[in-house]
Amino acid sequence: MALLARGELRSILQTEMPNALDTRWDTQATDQPEAHGEGQTILLDFDAVVKAEALVEVAHFIRDKFGYTLLSNITAVDYLKQGLIEVVYQFYNAAEGGPDLRVRVRIGRSPEECIVPSLTPTWPGADLQEREAYDMYGVVFPGHPNLARIYMWDEFKGFPMRKDFPKTGDKYTHVTGE
Amino acid sequence: MTLSHLATEDVFVVERNDADFRAGQGMTKGLGIVFRKFRKALFGKPNSDRADTEGQFNVQYPEERLVLPEAYRNMPILLYDDATGHELCTSCFQCERICPPQVIHITQAKDPATGKPVPAAANFVLEYDTCMSCGYCAEVCPFDAIKMDHDFELSTGNHPELDVNYDRLLRPISYYEAIAPTMWSDVKEQAMKKLQNNIKRRPGAIGRDHGQKVKGGAAVAVAATPVAGAAPAAAAKPRGPVAAIGKNMPEEKVAKLISIRAANAAKRGGGDAGAAPVAEAAPIVETVVDTPAASAAPSGPVAAIGQNMSEDKRAKLEAIRAAKRAQRGE
Amino acid sequence: MLKTEELQINIGPQHPSTHGVFRMLVTVDGETLVDLKPVFGYLHRNHEQLGEVNTYLQNMPFTDRLDYFNSMVNNHAYARAVETLAGVEVPERAQYIRVIMDELSRILNHATAMGFMLGDMGAWQTALLWGMREREKILDMFEYVSGARMMCNYCRFGGVVRDIDDWFITELKKLMQGLPHYFDDFEGLLLNSEILLARARNIGVLPKELALAYSVTGPVLRGSGVAYDIRKAEPYAVYDRFKFKVPVGTVGDVYDRFLVRIAEMRESYKILEQAIEQLPDATGGFINPKVKQQSLKAPAGEAYARVESPKGELGFYLVSDGSGSAYRYKVRAPSFINLSSLADMCKGYSIADVVVILGSIDIVMGEVDR
Repeated sequence: MALLARGELRSILQTEMPNALDTRWDTQATDQPEAHGEGQTILLDFDAVVKAEALVEVAHFIRDKFGYTLLSNITAVDYLKQGLIEVVYQFYNAAEGGPDLRVRVRIGRSPEECIVPSLTPTWPGADLQEREAYDMYGVVFPGHPNLARIYMWDEFKGFPMRKDFPKTGDKYTHVTGE
Repeated sequence: MTLSHLATEDVFVVERNDADFRAGQGMTKGLGIVFRKFRKALFGKPNSDRADTEGQFNVQYPEERLVLPEAYRNMPILLYDDATGHELCTSCFQCERICPPQVIHITQAKDPATGKPVPAAANFVLEYDTCMSCGYCAEVCPFDAIKMDHDFELSTGNHPELDVNYDRLLRPISYYEAIAPTMWSDVKEQAMKKLQNNIKRRPGAIGRDHGQKVKGGAAVAVAATPVAGAAPAAAAKPRGPVAAIGKNMPEEKVAKLISIRAANAAKRGGGDAGAAPVAEAAPIVETVVDTPAASAAPSGPVAAIGQNMSEDKRAKLEAIRAAKRAQRGE
Repeated sequence: MLKTEELQINIGPQHPSTHGVFRMLVTVDGETLVDLKPVFGYLHRNHEQLGEVNTYLQNMPFTDRLDYFNSMVNNHAYARAVETLAGVEVPERAQYIRVIMDELSRILNHATAMGFMLGDMGAWQTALLWGMREREKILDMFEYVSGARMMCNYCRFGGVVRDIDDWFITELKKLMQGLPHYFDDFEGLLLNSEILLARARNIGVLPKELALAYSVTGPVLRGSGVAYDIRKAEPYAVYDRFKFKVPVGTVGDVYDRFLVRIAEMRESYKILEQAIEQLPDATGGFINPKVKQQSLKAPAGEAYARVESPKGELGFYLVSDGSGSAYRYKVRAPSFINLSSLADMCKGYSIADVVVILGSIDIVMGEVDR
C-alpha cells in the first residue's frame, strides 16, 4: 500500500503487466506535456494508457496492490481530430490520501470501437458515471447492469457532448439554427 | 483501516448514546427549548444584532425593508451625467463581449454628417428576462457607465417589456450615488474625466438625446415594448413601497393601501428615505413619477415622460413635478 | 398467509421530499421496498457543454447554479481548477477569504440539510426554519461581500472579486458569538429526541466497504466510518494551517450522517476562529493583479482540482487546447455520485424511510442533473 507518483504507474505496468499497456502511445511518452499551439487538441501521454480489455484487470491491480480503493471520477473526452475518445478514470487512496491516480483508455469513435468494459460490478459507484459517459459520448460499457440514457430522454438519437454534434438547431422539431 | 494520512487525534467518532435509557426525556428537553424560543419570539425584542439567536427575526417585507448593501447587484442600468445630460456609455462593446448569457445588444452612434462612429451608443437593449445578474458588465466597463441596480421589484405580466430599451435603462448619476455612495466616489474622478473627453468627440445632440434616438429613426431595429406608455413608467419607477401599487388596481384598493402606508410612515416618523411621502403616492396611479434623485436634474424627468403621451397628461405630470419641487424648496 | 404482490410506484418528479425534480421508480412489496431506480434528467441543461462554449471567466457564474446552496464553494473549486491549469498564484489573503466563505457555506448547508431531512421525517418546518434562520444571517454577509445572496460569483482567477472589510469581520465575530448557542439548541432539540431516534437509527445503513465501492464522499462517507476528508487528505488553499478534527460515524445509518453533520458544523466553527485570527492584512492584496481575467488563456494541458464541498468531493476536470475556453469541462458533482448508493441503502426498509434516507444524502438537483 503506497502512494504512486504521477507517471509511476506506467513504469510499474511495463514490468508487471506489459500486455495491459496500449502500445500506440509508448513512443510519445513525455514527462512534460507539450503544448501544440492554439486551437489544437492535446493528448497527454504522461499517465498509464491501458488497453480497453485490460482495464478491469489494471483497476483491480492498483486497488489490491496500492490501495486505490476510491474510484472517484470517470470522464470521457472527445478528441475529434485524432478520432479518439479517451476515458479517464481517477482513483484515490482512501487510506493514505494524496493526489489521484489516472488510468486512461483510448478508443475509436465509431460504434464498433467505442467499447470499454464496465467497472460497475466492482465499483457500483461507477454506475451513474458510466451511464453519463454513454449518454453524452456514446461509450458502451459491456457488463453494466442498466446501460440506459441518464439525462436525455430514451428516444434521443446521437450523443450531444461529442464535438461533431450540431450545436444549433433541433432535428426533432426541424428548427434550424444559424 | 489504517489511516496514515490522518493523525489519530485528528479523527473522532461521533457519540451515539445508544445505551441510554429513554422514556421521553429527549422529547421533553427538546420541547423545553422550543417553548423557550417561542416565548422569546412572542414577548422578546426584535433581533437587532447578528449575535442574537432568540427573539423576533422576521422583517415585515413590503412595509419594512432590509438595507441593501452597496455591492448588491440585481439588473444592469446605464448612467448619465446630471448636469450635462451626457451618457457615460461610449459603446465600446466590452460588456456585450463578456456577458455570459449574451443579453446585451449595443448599436454604436454615427455622426450624421460624416458617417463616422461616435463614442456614444445609438441604442442599447438589455434582455432583463435572461440576464443572470452576474455583474460582469459593471465590472469590465472602463467608463463606469453600466452599473448594477438595487431595484428588485421588476415582476411584470408583460413579458416583452423585459427587453429593456436604452431610454428605460438610463439613470442619472445622482441615483447611483444615492444607492452606492462609496462605490461611486471610488471611481467618480476617472469616470468624469473620461466623460469630458468623450463629450468633445460627440457632435450635436448625440450622447444626450437618450430615448429619442429610437423614435428619430436611427438605423436600429429595436425590440420595442408594445405598450409604449408602460415603458417610461417602469424607467422612472421610484424605489420603495410605493412601487408596489399596481397600475391596474381598483381605486378603493389603492386608497386603502395608501392609507395603510400613511399610517406606517407616521409610525416610523417619516424617516424612511426609500418611501415616498403619501402626498406623492397618489399620482403613481397616473403611471409616471420621477425618482427622487432624478428631479435634481432638469433633463432627467423630462426624458422619462413617454413620447406617446397625450398633451394633457404631459401637462398634468409637469404640474405635479413642479409642485413637488416647490415642496422640496428648490 | 395472504398472497402479496409487488407494486411499482413513482415517487416524484414533482414531490416535496425529492428535493427538486427527481424521480424514484420504486418497487414495493407491501410497505417494504424491493427495488429503487433513480431517474434523472429533469433539470438537465448541458452545463458541461456550456462550459466548453464559454470562456473561462464567463463560466464562473454558471458554476453558482450547480449546487445553489454553496455557490462560494463551487466558485472556489472552479477557480482552483483554472488556476491549476493556467499556473496562477493566489495571494494568501485571498486563500483565507476563500476558506472563510467555504466554512460559512458548510455551516449554512448543514443547517439547512438537516432541517430538510427533518422536514422529510415529519418535523415539518420547526427544524428547517431554525436552519434557515442561521443561513439567512450568513447569506446577508455573502450579499455584502459579493452582491448576491446565493449566486455569489465571488471568486476570480487568482483571488476574489472584492476584499472583506472591517464591517464583515465585526459582523462575522458577532455571528460567531451566536453560533455555539445555535448548535447547542439544535442538538438539544433533536439529538435525543425519541422520534428522531426511531426514524433515524439503523435506517439506511451503508457499511464502510460498500461506501467506498459506491464512491460516496463527504458526510455520507464519513458517517459510514471512513475518515476521508479532502481538507486533510490533500490539503488545498490554506487548510493545512488549521487544527480541526474529522468526525466519523460507526454504523453508517441516517443517525450517523446526522451526527457527523452537526459535528462538522462545530469543526467549521473552529476553522473560522483560526482563519479570522490568522487572516493576513490587506498589503498582500486579495487578487493576483497579473492575471488577465477576461482574456485568460490556459496552456494546453489538463487539470483536476477538487475541494471538500459540504456535500462531498466537488471536482472540476478541465482539458485545455490553448484557447480561451475549455476543450473539456467536467464536473464531478458530489450529490450525483452519492445518489448511486441510494438504491442499496433503501432496500429492505419501509417506503416511509426512503425520503428520510434521501434527505440524509443531502442532494441538490442543480448539481445532479447539471
